[in-house]
Amino acid sequence: MIKIEHLDKSFGDLHVLNDISIEYRQGLCNMIIGASGSGKTVLLKTIIGLLKPDGGTVTFNGQNISELPYEEMKRFRQHIGVLFQNSALFDFATVIENVMFPMDFFTDWSRKEKIRRAEYCLERVNVQGNEKKYPGELSGGMQKRVGIARAIALNPKYLICDEPNSGLDPETSILIDRLIYGLTKEFGMTTIINTHDMNSILEIGDNIGFLHQGRMLWQGDRKTIFDTDCEELRTFVCANSLARNIMERKHL
Amino acid sequence: MLRKFFIETGRYFLFLGMVFKKPEKWRIFWKQFILEADKLIVSSVVLVSVISVFIGGVLVIQTASNMNNPFLDRMLVGYMVRESLILEFCSTMVALILAGKVGSNIASELGSMRITDQIDAIEMMGVNSASFLVLPKVLSVTLLSPLLVLLSFCLGLFGGWVVVAVTSIIPVAKYFTGLKYFFSEFYVFYSCVKMSIFCFMIASIAAYKGYYAHGGALGVGRSSTKSIVVSCILILMFDLIITQLMLY
Ligand SMILES: Nc1ncnc2c1ncn2[C@@H]1O[C@H](COP(=O)(O)OP(=O)(O)OP(=O)(O)O)[C@@H](O)[C@H]1O
Ligand SMILES: [Mg+2]
Repeated sequence: MIKIEHLDKSFGDLHVLNDISIEYRQGLCNMIIGASGSGKTVLLKTIIGLLKPDGGTVTFNGQNISELPYEEMKRFRQHIGVLFQNSALFDFATVIENVMFPMDFFTDWSRKEKIRRAEYCLERVNVQGNEKKYPGELSGGMQKRVGIARAIALNPKYLICDEPNSGLDPETSILIDRLIYGLTKEFGMTTIINTHDMNSILEIGDNIGFLHQGRMLWQGDRKTIFDTDCEELRTFVCANSLARNIMERKHL
Repeated sequence: MLRKFFIETGRYFLFLGMVFKKPEKWRIFWKQFILEADKLIVSSVVLVSVISVFIGGVLVIQTASNMNNPFLDRMLVGYMVRESLILEFCSTMVALILAGKVGSNIASELGSMRITDQIDAIEMMGVNSASFLVLPKVLSVTLLSPLLVLLSFCLGLFGGWVVVAVTSIIPVAKYFTGLKYFFSEFYVFYSCVKMSIFCFMIASIAAYKGYYAHGGALGVGRSSTKSIVVSCILILMFDLIITQLMLY
């Protein structure tokens, strides 16, 4: 479980996060949704400790991570799988080496076992056959999927994805959504996903928080999202024509 | 301005503290060490060689043309070329050139990793990114750069010989007598120590600038330029300090 209390973050004069409190339970696909520039990435980076909050706390299973000394923080981070918005694959390594990178550090597996595990992860995200390529030779969507494979390489307890399916075609997009959903249920991970894709919200959003200009304006799940009376969220939802249809029919 | 200087210096030493941590796994460290040695030192061999040969040649001509007083033994040309090479050119001059080549390489590599979140990704896996990325670079450059001094010294003398042989500006035998005249091994040692210190500064400053790069691709360029400027100035300052300490 990840618990966030009264989180504040600003860059100079720009107040990006404003008193955010929310709880993310284990085994659920938790989502942070919101328009571009609403502060999703900043929130995610603050949760995982890459940005220091100006106020408030983030606790993982009761453990306040911003208080941990560096060595313990490092040990703790081995249980967090992260997919960055721009994939952040290592340019100096091939696809398979990218996925094997965390295994090199934290397992004593033989090379064969590592390769087998990496191939398995790549297979699950549907990018087999590109093991020897470098990230620069892949399309954006493929990079994203390799990023997911790397994030799940060591079966993390927490999976954090920043826009896992932006830039993917609808078919692959749904595949990735289902993959993340499946893994979350299968291994009981605590998953947090940043997205503004209505499709994934409706497909896998167990617990959805709507972020608007740095404030958490609404919280609910994919079933209740159409019943909201939060004006900003309705505008956000209605930008998608399918969702607008559903919304209109519900409120007729 | 002064405040900024102190903040930067403090941050630089904190950064060094992060870099000089025990590597997570020695096997990975050695692998990186060899890769970096190849990328930073071995790949500089050609550049250093070419420069050294030419410098040696030029030094011979300049020295000879300044010493055509009949009372001075022509052998002294060889002696002076040797001394200038080992005392200054092979370490300081080569270090200034490496500041450009090695420094920009390190700063731009780390800078681009920073702005594309790759450093954050390493950090999020629970790996000390500073130690993993920077320690192999700093150590390989610091420990192996004296080899470049030796190479540069030999090739400089060779370049001088080529000029002497081709132009007969002084007799070849005199050149060799000069080279052997009052040879002090300590100067070679001094030069190697100097080079190690310079290269440590080059690598660590470039790494520091790159590691904390921000502001997109432009920021990466800026950090690489800054690292070269700063290390060049420091090289010349430390040249003075080390020389005073070791030779006087
Ligand atoms: N390092 C930074 N320094 C200054 N301002 C920043 C920084 N990072 C983000 N911001 C600001 O914070 C705000 C939120 O940015 P953020 O990246 O979280 O948006 P986002 O919701 O992830 O958008 P997108 O969907 O486009 O990724 C933006 O106004 C941005 O200008
Ligand atoms: Mg974002």
